[in-house]
Amino acid sequence: MKTIEKMCQKARRKGILRVIIMSLVTVTLMASLFGCGKSDTAPEEEKDGLIYVPEYQKLAFEARYISQLAPAGDEAYMAAMVEDKENEGYKTVVYQYNLLENTAKELSIADLDGDVNVNAFLISGDGNLVMVVNQYQYEEDENGEIVDSSMTMELRRISVDDGTVINSQDLANVVDRIENSYIQYLCEDGQGNLYLCDGDQGIHIVDKDFNKLCDISLDDWVDGMAASKEGDVYIATYNENGMVLKKVDVAAKKLGEAVEGIEDVFGNVGYYPSVSKSLIQSSSNQLKLIDLETGTSEELFNWMDVDIDGNNIEIVGELSDGRIWTISREYSEEGDQYELVYLTRKKASEVPQKEEIVYGALWLDTLTRRAIIDFNKSNDQYHISVKEYGNDFDGSQVAQFNADLTSQNCPDLIGLTSLDFSQYASKGVLEDMYPYMEKSGLDKGDYLENVLKAFEQDGKLYGIVSQFYITSTLAKESLVGEENGWTLSEMLDFVEKNNPENVFMYGSRDSIFRYCIYNNIDEFIDWETGKCFFEGEEFIRTLEFAAKFPEEVDYNQEEEGISARLRSNKVLLMENTVSSVQEYQMMNGLFGEKVTYIGYPNSERKGNLIQSSGGSFGISAKSKHKEGAWEFVESVISKEYQDSLVEDNYGWGFPIRKEALEKQFENDMTPEYYEDEEGNKVESSKTTWGYDDFQMEIMAATQEDVDAVRGLLTSADRLSGNVDTQLTNIITEEAEPFFKGQKSAADAAGVIQNRIQIYVNENR
Amino acid sequence: MHFPKSRKGQRMPRFAAHPYVKENNLRSIERNTKITVPSPKRGRKSSSNKKKHRGRLISAGYLLPSAVGVLLFFVLPFLIVVYYSMIDNPISAQFVLFDNFVMVFQNAAFIQAAKNTFTFSVSAVPLAVVLSLFLAMMLESKIPFQSQFRTFFLSPMMVPIASVVLIWQVLFHFNGMMNELRSIFDLDKIDWLNSGYAQVVIVILFLWKNLGYNMILFMAALSSIPKDILEVAILESASPFQVFIHIKLRYISSTILFVTIMSLINSFKVFREIYLLKGDYPYDTMYMLQHFMNNTFSRLDYQKMSAAAIMMAIVMVIIIGILFLTENYFGKDVEG
Amino acid sequence: MKQRFGRIKKIDEISLERWEMEVKRKKRWRLRKKAVGVTLKTMAAACFAVLFLLPILLTITNSFMSASEISSNYGQVFATNDSGGKVYIAETVNLKFIPDMVSFSQYITVLLKSPEYLFKFWNSVILVVPIVVFQLLVAAGASFGFTRYRGRMKEIIFFVYIILMLMPYQVTLVPNYLVSDWLHILDTNWAIWLPGIFSPFAVYLLTKYMRRIPISVMEAAQIDGAGEWQIFRHICMPLCKGAMCSIAILIFIDYWNMVEQPLILLADEQKHPLSVFLSKINAGEIGLAFAVATIYMVPPILVFLYGEDYLVEGITYQGGIKG
Repeated sequence: MKTIEKMCQKARRKGILRVIIMSLVTVTLMASLFGCGKSDTAPEEEKDGLIYVPEYQKLAFEARYISQLAPAGDEAYMAAMVEDKENEGYKTVVYQYNLLENTAKELSIADLDGDVNVNAFLISGDGNLVMVVNQYQYEEDENGEIVDSSMTMELRRISVDDGTVINSQDLANVVDRIENSYIQYLCEDGQGNLYLCDGDQGIHIVDKDFNKLCDISLDDWVDGMAASKEGDVYIATYNENGMVLKKVDVAAKKLGEAVEGIEDVFGNVGYYPSVSKSLIQSSSNQLKLIDLETGTSEELFNWMDVDIDGNNIEIVGELSDGRIWTISREYSEEGDQYELVYLTRKKASEVPQKEEIVYGALWLDTLTRRAIIDFNKSNDQYHISVKEYGNDFDGSQVAQFNADLTSQNCPDLIGLTSLDFSQYASKGVLEDMYPYMEKSGLDKGDYLENVLKAFEQDGKLYGIVSQFYITSTLAKESLVGEENGWTLSEMLDFVEKNNPENVFMYGSRDSIFRYCIYNNIDEFIDWETGKCFFEGEEFIRTLEFAAKFPEEVDYNQEEEGISARLRSNKVLLMENTVSSVQEYQMMNGLFGEKVTYIGYPNSERKGNLIQSSGGSFGISAKSKHKEGAWEFVESVISKEYQDSLVEDNYGWGFPIRKEALEKQFENDMTPEYYEDEEGNKVESSKTTWGYDDFQMEIMAATQEDVDAVRGLLTSADRLSGNVDTQLTNIITEEAEPFFKGQKSAADAAGVIQNRIQIYVNENR
Repeated sequence: MHFPKSRKGQRMPRFAAHPYVKENNLRSIERNTKITVPSPKRGRKSSSNKKKHRGRLISAGYLLPSAVGVLLFFVLPFLIVVYYSMIDNPISAQFVLFDNFVMVFQNAAFIQAAKNTFTFSVSAVPLAVVLSLFLAMMLESKIPFQSQFRTFFLSPMMVPIASVVLIWQVLFHFNGMMNELRSIFDLDKIDWLNSGYAQVVIVILFLWKNLGYNMILFMAALSSIPKDILEVAILESASPFQVFIHIKLRYISSTILFVTIMSLINSFKVFREIYLLKGDYPYDTMYMLQHFMNNTFSRLDYQKMSAAAIMMAIVMVIIIGILFLTENYFGKDVEG
Repeated sequence: MKQRFGRIKKIDEISLERWEMEVKRKKRWRLRKKAVGVTLKTMAAACFAVLFLLPILLTITNSFMSASEISSNYGQVFATNDSGGKVYIAETVNLKFIPDMVSFSQYITVLLKSPEYLFKFWNSVILVVPIVVFQLLVAAGASFGFTRYRGRMKEIIFFVYIILMLMPYQVTLVPNYLVSDWLHILDTNWAIWLPGIFSPFAVYLLTKYMRRIPISVMEAAQIDGAGEWQIFRHICMPLCKGAMCSIAILIFIDYWNMVEQPLILLADEQKHPLSVFLSKINAGEIGLAFAVATIYMVPPILVFLYGEDYLVEGITYQGGIKG
């Protein structure tokens, strides 16, 4: 009361405005205190000490691959391609899978042989199967060429009991332009209406008797569709806020607004029906339960913590006993490997604890993800958890990372990709790995010395990769000669001599900077004396050179193909990688003559750069689990792992272990044959490679090709530079007035010199 | 317990605005108190000492929460800084004693930063003091809309830094308003932020932001000069200049020192504006000590950052010490 | 005065009258001169006021421009390159006060379409308000401690406070991170709150003010039998009310603009206040910058308008670094 009295007094004195302001402030203050209270209690709920423990099972049947999965309570129905022993081919079989007992029962379904594919299916509310099947029909002429082909797509309701077709509908009656459609998702709502979705064209809705109700057109690509527990059907699409859920509104014949409170997720995203909440959402990282009524989502676990690769998830469901089941699929050359995993909630204390190793990186790449999961599954002593710092531009993530490196939060294993390796190495962040190699009996000589050397500082090995490739720049040997390297002036002389308008295929100013400066920034900075040479002739020449290029590349411009332009010398240089022998073979074909991998300009004329493919690793010098961290590093450079990279053709690039590399070369040189009609063995192409409009059949590599690639791989000795964005930002920012014609190149260079000089002084 | 005076005090916070009135008022309270408690001091020396001792402890108790917090969040971090300044790097943490100080002292970037920070503070702080005093004198002379003007001058305090930076860019960009203005008079364009003028721009920015608050401080001080003294001076035919030098300046000398301290604090905060204008590595005349610390921090060179910080702290102790002494010397006779 | 003149009159009436006339003439002349001076000063003050007000006005009026109008006026100045660095290019820059067409599109986007701005605004409030309230409380106690029974020890501690207050926080940011980590409050609002609450700044200002309350007042109360708490509660606090309001405004404005602390101490971007976002906005969504900035200015302006009188009167007693 007193306060009100006071307020009234004040109101008289100061006017109503003040009172309003004061009450506003009071309200915000109280509300903020309320807000504080809320934020305090939230984390406590999570810390109830329960964790999910995985149990891996083999599937009860063997299949080449599973084409469709439909959960139905504690059962699931699966359509799989299995070997057909009678016809020496594959056929589609539908299994009724008892998830509680992990047994499968084969259902005999009518009309499912031959070239029939099951596109989508589900268990309808009436207990029967509803599926979309397509049939591809063609006629062959005498030469085995396909002359006439057609495709039919049918929606069928099939009795689970005897496999007979209860009802069917030719989808040509439902979907316009059926020949261009491929039904990806099929859902049923509470009324028994069926929703068929084909990517981005539209959602087609039929009632339970398969009579068409309506079409709903789509603006964006649909990344998922699922029926919620409440009986509504939702689709997932990407918009400017990331991935959002929208309700399919049949009555209004359109999509609803994006559901609020659903956080953006990445990677392999899938939505599945849930028992306890509205929907299950699985992404590459976590599994979440979504409650659409309250617009909240609850994270159940991170896939990494249960040793499952979230990228491989095919389906997730909840069982009546509270367990969660999932099927993960791992791609391999000989047929996909499926694993059925049950996740049980247990008290953390009941689970044997392993020593925790933290892998810290800006982001987790797929190859490393796989390696960590394999390590976690097979190692009894250590468990690796992942801390991703994020990969935004503003540098605050790197600041976080650095702060952690100095604190007790220090990760044990460090993913060096996109971090300043040499800085960490020289500051003592990283542990020398040579002693560990020796202790484990690994011979340095088994690995590519030049790659190890790139990670060396003062004879100590601070980082390592399991797989790598080379980034380089390509030109015709007839134009630039044999040597793999040139200096900046040589490069500028070369392009001046020729037509500078078309030096690169898509040259922008930024790409010129990257090509000429960023990859060899040390040419412009003498760290010994602290002198910078941005006012020098070479830099000013580069500025003037870059000015001839457009600010942004117009990718839409109509031009003849790249191969033709390279061959006629309209384009002289091409930035590219050496990631396989096949790529090397293709490049020679693309240019139409022998190619020199001349690389980036550099005063030592060594322009080819080593780039890690799928993670480069270092061990933190402050780690308390160095042995465990090393065990992981050892696992990714071990003979078995390196060989498996070659055998499974996994990842991208070359293994670092010489033996595996030679095995890879051997594979590349092994020709493949087919038998022609007369029974002669004829060499066939191994694969087809293409670039832009150019395509090339790749035959087995010759010894010459392999030797050339080996030469490139073993001669590169510099890591692809992670030039500090501070420097690139200064250069692009201050070069701009010159490009805009407001300043002379020398003036712009002067400002660049001035600002970078501080950078250099600071770091000496 | 009977407390008429304190209640009275509670009801009249407004009197606080006029120290003269208030002090008199309080003095009368004091007199009253003395009457209600007869012979308070004599003969009870020991007990009063005990009481004093107890009061000392209790008053220390009031200090405690803050002291613990400051110890934890300011002193401890500072000690960590001291520790960092004496190791070779934060990872291997080898003790090197004063090597870092020697290294930092020889670092060209540090010297540049120290020089810039020094010249900035030496030019901007006195300017801020003098100009705000000038503004205060101007407003003090009973001009119309005085309180509105006061509000206007304070307004820059409220503008978010991002907007300030935005507007400053529009003004001082190579193609910005300032250069457009110059081109009207056929003058060459100046790249304000990438030349020797950069520091001038920053000084203007600093003044614009801080003059208002300083002015308020001065206005308050000027209004608290006893009116009778000024009147007497006028009657004694003192010129305004003499009044200013001998009375006003004297009376506000402590405020001048206070404003100087506040401006000094704020002069260190100008880094954020420079940072948002030109990033981590601005043109060399704008490169401040905070840039040096910020950058060395992000490059894991904590030892360099710490050494620089400690040197800065030492200089600060010296400056504050000098200000303390100056105030003691000048301020005593008027403060009473 | 009359009395005094009266006495003089008896001694020398004529000279006094002449003297009085002289004084009156002087006064009149001074008044006339003063009138001219006042107009001059008013004009000068007006000029200054315009200069000072310009940015606020500009921000507010520009917030009513559509995004396309903004980018046509300033887009050239603030472009972002691919790698996120800022590029400043400009053919022409138009500093415009009045929008061609008043548009609320910025506000619609900020307030309705993307709730993240309001969310961040809310973060700002949650971070700043507790700091202001509790820093004042802690500082009130500490200042009282510093004011009562001043001794050598306390003087030294106070000096340390001043030095710590003057330290740029770039210095203590890293150690703060380590301490927060050690206390397990990293990534929580506490990491911002606690250092803020115990900041020596308010202690310094308030102590300066409190020390100017005559010691005799407190002693008198003490003799009257008042305990330390009563002295603190019933004498110091009421007298310092204005000062505390003025300090509250200063703290509020200071923390309302914080950028570095949340960036380092709060990894979760969801928790970042609007100030962090605003500091980046120049590189990104320039079309919204003005509306966000205007909304952002509302609380400081409210606090300021409400407390302006206190700000002025609270400062009155400050001054002098030692007090």
